[in-house]
Amino acid sequence: MEIAIPKTSEVMKALLKADYTTLWRNRRANLMVLLVPMIIVFSWKSMVSMPMFGPAFVLSNAITLGLVAIGLMGYTNSIARDRDKGVFQRLRVSPLPLWTIMTSRLLVQLTMIMLLTIVVFVAGYQFDHIRMSLSGYLFTFLISIVGGAVYLALGQAIVGRIQNPETVNSSARLIYFAFIVVGMFGELNVAYLKDIVTWTPYGTVKTILAAGLEPSKWNSQTTNALLLTLGYTIVFATLGIKWFKWSTK
Amino acid sequence: MDTPQNNILQVDNLNVYYGNFQAVNNVSFFVKQGEIFGLLGPNGAGKTSTLSAVEGLIKQQSGTVTVAGYDTLKNPLHARAAMGVQLQATSFQPELNVAEILELYASIYGLKLTQPLLHALLKEINLAEAENKKFGQLSGGQQQRVSLAITTIHDPKLVLLDEPTSGLDPQSRRQLWSRIEAIREKGNGIVLTTHSMEEAEAVCDRISIIDHGRIIATGTPQSLIDKHRNDPEVIAVSRRGKVTLEDVFIALTGLEVRA
Repeated sequence: MEIAIPKTSEVMKALLKADYTTLWRNRRANLMVLLVPMIIVFSWKSMVSMPMFGPAFVLSNAITLGLVAIGLMGYTNSIARDRDKGVFQRLRVSPLPLWTIMTSRLLVQLTMIMLLTIVVFVAGYQFDHIRMSLSGYLFTFLISIVGGAVYLALGQAIVGRIQNPETVNSSARLIYFAFIVVGMFGELNVAYLKDIVTWTPYGTVKTILAAGLEPSKWNSQTTNALLLTLGYTIVFATLGIKWFKWSTK
Repeated sequence: MDTPQNNILQVDNLNVYYGNFQAVNNVSFFVKQGEIFGLLGPNGAGKTSTLSAVEGLIKQQSGTVTVAGYDTLKNPLHARAAMGVQLQATSFQPELNVAEILELYASIYGLKLTQPLLHALLKEINLAEAENKKFGQLSGGQQQRVSLAITTIHDPKLVLLDEPTSGLDPQSRRQLWSRIEAIREKGNGIVLTTHSMEEAEAVCDRISIIDHGRIIATGTPQSLIDKHRNDPEVIAVSRRGKVTLEDVFIALTGLEVRA
């Protein structure tokens, strides 16, 4: 007897529709993701005109912390919750390739990354009167996707290593808090601290984002930061995929 | 004569391990079209592991599972398209309402659920008023009806139900039995696991009793009762002088309470 299997494109469309509906229904939680970057844009206004900081510094920090929030709070918690509730198990017994489940989730997060970047650009333009070149905006838009991938991969590693959704949530919050602290104090003029922070996942993403906003300032250190960012992404994603289990049972 | 070609599900020499622990030990059985097959066993006997291997949720170390002629390892998508599965603990995205969940799963199975079809389906499962309710807002019986509707939305050749009546009140349970029998009437094969011997006797055409990962008895409920009614162990556990399937089950699997 011949059994027809649905087209992958149709399955993908259905999953995306469900995941975008979920994203929309969680819009309050998603607004919280944008809150910290907005606070930075508003409260660091004075830094925009300071020579030692500047507009790229403010925008890159705001976007970086938003990316951390998306990867660690949004993505990680939604995966942990749905895994615990058996949502993935129900999908896994359906005739769809497994990669479509995660691809759909990641595409939704990608949308959030793009939305965050646009919101920060608009807020920076509107409230801090930051004017960057068009190429700077476009380049940063692409780099924010690269940067966002690090934190999505880190989130994947967390949700892979830890099964309990509450523990995933608390661990993700702790790491998020650590990144905020790094963002706030990392630029202090303490030599060894600054060096360490520069090469953390936070520092490398911030570096490439800042250089993206001002492409003329791209140098070898930025290239190293980009390579390290990609390296972090590969390592975290590999561990996350290796550790990940579809069910907590 | 039963040949593998006639069987909607064919399980041969299935072995499943979790680390060094063997959960399923050389299990073989088949399910014919239009048959309700019950897999019974105490907690931890290997029922869910067997079903999980059939569903493709876990990979067997050896043995073959064939659904509607498709090997679950060689053609997993075809095999899964041929089956409808109701898991023991299942849930749907809590942000989605009943109509959206039904539309999602219809699309996943390659079906277009138009508004008239959706309303007809909701009416059929007595949930016409619950179209816009979230899954978590439904009662246990309503959740079970949605879950079963999704399981059978694509009219699968094989329906797998893992403890489908667990936690249901008698009315909901009876209603579910009727639905299961209606699926059988259409010629679909059904495998269900249950702890309720009453349920197994009432709805199953054939059953297998599994314990410690092995199938220890197979037959119709009545044939198993008849075969074992004079066993000393069965007589020892039987109450009120009448031998039931539960007596046979306890005699075969022991009185010890499993974790």
